[in-house]
Amino acid sequence: MSLHLQPVRVATGSDDTESQLVFSGGFLVAVLVRLSDDHGEDAGSWFLEAGFGRVNDLIQHTFLDLKEAQDWIECRLAGG
Amino acid sequence: MTSAPKPSIDILIRKLESIAPLSDEERRAIEGLPIMIRPLKPDQDIVRDQDRPSQCCLMLEGWACRYKLLSQGKRQIFSLHIPGDIPDLLSLHLEVMDHSFGTLTPATVAFIPHHSLHELTARFPRVAAAFWRNTLVDAAVFREWMIGMGRRDATQAIAHLFCELYLRLQAVGLAENHMYRLPVTQSDIADALGITNVHVNRVLKVLRAKGLITLVGGTLQINDWMELTKFSEFDPTYLHLKQQAG
Repeated sequence: MSLHLQPVRVATGSDDTESQLVFSGGFLVAVLVRLSDDHGEDAGSWFLEAGFGRVNDLIQHTFLDLKEAQDWIECRLAGG
Repeated sequence: MTSAPKPSIDILIRKLESIAPLSDEERRAIEGLPIMIRPLKPDQDIVRDQDRPSQCCLMLEGWACRYKLLSQGKRQIFSLHIPGDIPDLLSLHLEVMDHSFGTLTPATVAFIPHHSLHELTARFPRVAAAFWRNTLVDAAVFREWMIGMGRRDATQAIAHLFCELYLRLQAVGLAENHMYRLPVTQSDIADALGITNVHVNRVLKVLRAKGLITLVGGTLQINDWMELTKFSEFDPTYLHLKQQAG
């Protein structure tokens, strides 16, 4: 099932505010936050701020771009 | 800050005396322990999960941690160790290691044979009691660790850890004036508290912005000790130090 992204701003208590809600089949499955310049070499990466159900992961990954993030989320939703 | 003297077993005496009294004779007996000093690189295992050690490892210089590796590269750090600590003291009585222990920074360690420690503790029951007390304090630190991971938010947990490390380092003469070398990485802190690098980075910014800490070039300055302890609900009772400062 393809993912649907919706841009939002998330109050993370930091400069990391640019975010995307990630929906699958109408369900919110993840919140991705773009890391600000505060994060040095990780700046611009997308951080799994929250994942729900199968997308929940204690590691809370960081992805180079939204495509990589979506691929990972789809893999998790597929049971991978 | 006190400059580091030549690494020796004196640091163990200093550590033990921070939690229990020792007589001159007991001190001399500890000084007489046979030790084998080894320099180690960062991220080098000293004892691995499932090992059956025949010696204990005293930290003389540098930092180490006890940890366990999980699937997908996840690492949980259970405890951070500084000079004066014997992180694998438990191997004296528990034959098989149930976790690993390795350096985080360049380190100098002293290996002490188990049989020598058994002889020492048999001859000097108060030294045995000091070691026991040491492991009990370790257990108390673990209890605080559990609270930090389970019930404190990331900002409080890191602030609490900074307070704890200051008092532990101060007890062995490696910190004063609310300042110390903090040679561990953000990733180490994240693995210790069960959070992410991203959270550690955010929290450090918040603590700096509040004026509570300054962290430059690996040196941590606690700018407002009272406020940091209040903010993190830090109560040093669990360290059971003979002389607590603040």
